[in-house]
Amino acid sequence: MIELRHVTKTYGNKKNVFTALDNVSLSIKEGSTVAIVGKSGSGKSTLMHAMSGLDQPQSGEVIIDGKDILKLSGKAVDKFRSHTISFIFQSFFVEGNETCYDNVSLPLEIADVPIGERNARIEEALDAVELLEKKRSRAKDLSGGQKQRLAIARAIAARPKVLFADEPTGNLDSATSEVVETLLFEYSKRHNTTLIVVTHDPDLAKKCDMQIVIKDGKIAESISAKQPHKKGAKR
Amino acid sequence: MKARDVIRRAGRNLRQAKVRTLLTALAISVGAFTIMLSLAAGEGARQYADNLIKSNVDPRSLFIVKDKTITGQGQAQSSLREYDASEGQQNGVTIKQLNKEDIEALSKRTDITDVRPIYNVNLKYLRIGDSDKRYKSEANVYNPDVLSEQVSGSLPNLGEDIGANNVIVPESFATTLKLSPQQLLGKKVTLTIEKATPTSFDITTGQAVNETKDIVLTIRSVVKPPKLSFTPSEAIQIPISVASEIADFTTEGTPAYQKYFAVTAKAADSTTPEAAKTALEKAGFYAQTADDLQGFLFTIVNVITSIVAGFGVIALIASIFGIINTQYISVLERTSQIGLMKALGMRGRDVARLFRYEAAWIGFLGGIIGVTIAWILGTALNPTIAKALDLGEGTNLLIFNPVVAVGLVVLLIVIAIVAGFFPSRKAAKLDPIEALRTE
Repeated sequence: MIELRHVTKTYGNKKNVFTALDNVSLSIKEGSTVAIVGKSGSGKSTLMHAMSGLDQPQSGEVIIDGKDILKLSGKAVDKFRSHTISFIFQSFFVEGNETCYDNVSLPLEIADVPIGERNARIEEALDAVELLEKKRSRAKDLSGGQKQRLAIARAIAARPKVLFADEPTGNLDSATSEVVETLLFEYSKRHNTTLIVVTHDPDLAKKCDMQIVIKDGKIAESISAKQPHKKGAKR
Repeated sequence: MKARDVIRRAGRNLRQAKVRTLLTALAISVGAFTIMLSLAAGEGARQYADNLIKSNVDPRSLFIVKDKTITGQGQAQSSLREYDASEGQQNGVTIKQLNKEDIEALSKRTDITDVRPIYNVNLKYLRIGDSDKRYKSEANVYNPDVLSEQVSGSLPNLGEDIGANNVIVPESFATTLKLSPQQLLGKKVTLTIEKATPTSFDITTGQAVNETKDIVLTIRSVVKPPKLSFTPSEAIQIPISVASEIADFTTEGTPAYQKYFAVTAKAADSTTPEAAKTALEKAGFYAQTADDLQGFLFTIVNVITSIVAGFGVIALIASIFGIINTQYISVLERTSQIGLMKALGMRGRDVARLFRYEAAWIGFLGGIIGVTIAWILGTALNPTIAKALDLGEGTNLLIFNPVVAVGLVVLLIVIAIVAGFFPSRKAAKLDPIEALRTE
């Protein structure tokens, strides 16, 4: 369960204030898939950053698993990020010179997963994205789709409860996009992981249980898809 | 994050920038190389000085003076002070000297033996063989405790003096006279000495006449200047009895008559040189022991070592900026990587640690390279250096100490970590959102 209450984030100084998020409140059910849609500069990335503890909104509450992450200490926020959530980015951010294995190992090292457990979890994650046979290959030798699959493996290795995907298919052609999307949605369903996708792509957005349309820092529209038992966002 | 994981990641990151890492490490290795070599040279010089003292100076020997400024124990005297009959000039410096009574007092002591005044031996000129050609040379008192390397002729056993009519001449005399050392043996050396004060007046010339005297000695042996010696001067060596005679004759009638600037002696077997020194001090004499001399030489060696090592330190300081620069570039290059790590929940502390460990690896690498090259090169060059400086067979000027080497590498690691501090702080403070925007 993710709940945002009256979250406001502004940039700039007193003279020149830009409100990126304007009194946003919403609620996301555990295990659901959510698309945050909007034009560039609408505030959708800021919303994701606020929900993931990367950004500090000036006011409001971001309650994840019953805890307001805005009130946590820096150390606790880092622990929250390493244990509870994970990210997938448009430009992959895989470490080209490292092997796939070492790339996936990073979040496990950060989360202090015991060395004995790591190997099994890394292989499990690589297997889930069908990159197990590439385990010793360097990430830079992979294709774009493979890199994003590697990024997914890295994101799921630490078994997060919430997976943030920032334009996950933005740099991919439609065929590979399809593969990546399927991977993400299937993983979310199988592990009851909340998937929050920030995207421009209306097709991708439609596949989600819920679409949150952001405009000028406010939630313009909140569309719940077919499943009637999944509630929309509170206004 | 566990230190082990951070260290492994740091090492991997460096391997990905091999050339840059190596170049930065090489910059450090220059400093390490210089410091290692200078420390090795210092150690070698200390051991050499130690050998030098052991082979030149009886550990029981004492160098006794009345003026404590000579042994470095006291302040220089005030330039205006009360007249003291015991003062005399030595090398242009007015110092308190020892007189006949002092010598007698010292000779009577039971804690020292072999009391020998240092005579001021001034020759007017000398003649060799039957030739009337006059030569000028320095004359030293033969030291029975030092064996010179003889070219021809014979020397007495260690501790025994040469005969009262003997003289030992340096090898260079043969060269100057165009004779072989063998031809010099048995030749007469006539030393002409002159009183410092006039003894009569020549009415015909109207000039004061200084009485002169000839002392005839026989060349007993021809020697090379000793390799391990403080006095490599090419002087003739005369027996102490002759030196005493010369000193008394030349200084008669002057304030320097029977005054000696220093006395050599040996601590008696019943006491230690240190104890003898303390006892002498109570009696108004100041002594320098072999240990004091060693300490003095070591001070010189240490000063020189420090100067050379200082250059190494300067090179190190320069390389610190190299590390800082490299690490800053590294932080810039890996902005997105740092952003990702922080987004994934890596603590700023751990990010900083990652960069500090990378710097530590560079320091380690530079230290190992510098120390190894210095060690190999020094060991290879040792025989050549010993030959070039004529140090004698088997003497190594560069002596490498494994403890010093390890200490130096550890020091470099620490320095590198300190140098990596600012770049690592920059990395730790990067805002993940900003960092991930860069691509």
